Amino acid sequence: MTIEKLTELGADTKEGLARCAGMEAFYLNLVTKAIQDDKYGELENLIAEKKYAEAFEVAHALKGVLANLALKPILDPICEITEGLRARTEMDYSGLVAQMKDARSRFLEEIF
Amino acid sequence: MSDFVKSRLNMKRRILIVDDEEINRMLLENILAKDYEVLLAANGKEALEIAESEKERLTAILLDLRMPVMDGYEFFGILQKDEVLKNIPVIVLTSDREAEVKSLNMGVADFIPKPYDVPEVILARIGRIVQLYEDRNIITATQYDSVTDLFNREYFLEYETIVDQYYPEDQKDMIAVNVNRFHVINATHGLEIGDEVLATIGRCIKKYVQAYYGIAARFDADNFYLYIKSDDHAQRLYDAICNSLKEILEDSDSRIRMGIYKNASANADYARRLDYAHLACNSIKGNYTEHVAYYDDEISKKENREEKLIHDLDRALEEEQFKVFFQPKYAIRSEEPKLASAEALIRWVHPELGMISPGLFIPLFEDNGLISKVDRYVWKNAAKQVAKWKKEYGISIPVSVNVSRMDMLSENLAEEFQAIVDEEGIDVHNFLLEVTESAYTNDQANIISVVKELREKGFRIEMDDFGTGYSSLNMLTNLPFDVLKLDMVFVRNIHSDERALKLVEFIMEIARYLNVTVVAEGVELKEQYEVLKDLGCDVIQGYYFSKPLCAEDFEKLIEKEIGHDN
Repeated sequence: MTIEKLTELGADTKEGLARCAGMEAFYLNLVTKAIQDDKYGELENLIAEKKYAEAFEVAHALKGVLANLALKPILDPICEITEGLRARTEMDYSGLVAQMKDARSRFLEEIF
Repeated sequence: MSDFVKSRLNMKRRILIVDDEEINRMLLENILAKDYEVLLAANGKEALEIAESEKERLTAILLDLRMPVMDGYEFFGILQKDEVLKNIPVIVLTSDREAEVKSLNMGVADFIPKPYDVPEVILARIGRIVQLYEDRNIITATQYDSVTDLFNREYFLEYETIVDQYYPEDQKDMIAVNVNRFHVINATHGLEIGDEVLATIGRCIKKYVQAYYGIAARFDADNFYLYIKSDDHAQRLYDAICNSLKEILEDSDSRIRMGIYKNASANADYARRLDYAHLACNSIKGNYTEHVAYYDDEISKKENREEKLIHDLDRALEEEQFKVFFQPKYAIRSEEPKLASAEALIRWVHPELGMISPGLFIPLFEDNGLISKVDRYVWKNAAKQVAKWKKEYGISIPVSVNVSRMDMLSENLAEEFQAIVDEEGIDVHNFLLEVTESAYTNDQANIISVVKELREKGFRIEMDDFGTGYSSLNMLTNLPFDVLKLDMVFVRNIHSDERALKLVEFIMEIARYLNVTVVAEGVELKEQYEVLKDLGCDVIQGYYFSKPLCAEDFEKLIEKEIGHDN
């Protein structure tokens, strides 16, 4: 994985790198960790089981990390999921979840 | 404070980051690690354990609110119930507006929004809060001594505790640095040079402690202290200070003395750390061949002995344990030496310790001011003795008593002496007052006016220890006195050393010019006596004629003298 590739995938690498004091290797290491997180699957399951309160906690945690790393393509659907869950809104999250999974898999492909 | 940590100690403050997300912790750790020592916790419970063990050392806590096991709100609530922990500023890490307001209302110091801002902003934000809290917790007076730019006493003590908290594993030494006869530098070179000496020492010490993560202060006058990681500092520090003074003082090599209390950090009594370094330093006061002393058992014993003497003083005065002895002074200008007068000297016959040398207790009481009590005891007893001899033998033997520098500063001294001679009905001429030359060096104008008042009342003043008090010739001509007592160091080699002889010859000439009587002290040998007689010395005191005698033995001498005359 390279900074260029991440940028190409839609990550705001300039912003992410700035938080890492410009340390590229450090940033790439964190991104790899963030993408491999188990919480995506956890979130999907909790939503499917309609465990919205717990799902919110997971979504909120993911959102925090992705925002810090500026991984916008995954962050954007998670932000929407988080806000929906926060407001306890009964809605169809499947589209957003699919969007999240799709974006994540594109990043995962870069890793493996 | 920030300046203190960074530039003085190179000491990193400790910050605890509490966040369940490892990536967030890593990000913050990366931002903070250069300026702070970072501790990490993944939830409130872990954080609490760290906070408890680092209680006194944590500078701030960065706290996520949403965490498993124990969330940020609960953790913060527990902190607030602890007297120490509640003073640590907590900065909340949050992405929610609502949570920001809630946490601020709860009493957190600040918040850092997520996603994080650029590192510079985060560092500035934390730095501001840290400074705000530390300033609040530490005395707000100026922390630096204006002359030397080192810490003042209060801040030194404050930072000493901080150094201990931050480096508990390191042994640290307390070092006291003094300038030998600093008051003389002020008196002879002027206050400006005195201050320049202090400032130079200050700069040197500051540079030295910076290299060892230490702290340094000037408490007052020439009293410097260093609290510093234990090492072999003595010679390095001594050389550094002496070198720095080379351009200001011609005798810089003999000007500094240091007392070192090794591993002072092991002693939890902060006042004692200073005392012990100070005691070690003072143990070589007046000894110009040694410039470094370590606090050890001997000094500890000396301290205990001195404490006992101080404690026993009042009782000793009440029970008349002090005995006044009289050392005869002989006039030698006539064919035969003739008993002319005596100097009253004190001896302490302690019920447990036996005879205590005045060399042990006089400097001690001079240092703490108790000498005034002892002096007054001698004055009264000496006056009584003069009266008794006058009554019993019909002759007046003038007796001289010592007047300490401390006494010279007491109010109504002249009235006090007048009352003593009046009470015993003796003539003021028979009650001589010995004032050390060094007393004249200090606060000269004041001393001169006291001496003038005494002389106006008819008392005669003997300048004691002449030649040891750094009087300049110019000063001498302005000082009022009637008798010059030549210190024994000048007499010691007078019969064998040409230079010593020349020096005394010169002093005799000065005495003639000033029209004062010369008394030579410490004369032990016939050869010394003969040389002094040839040089025109007026009076001799010393073992050559007689050691100090108790009143009864002195009376035998009087009887012999009377018999001789008859």
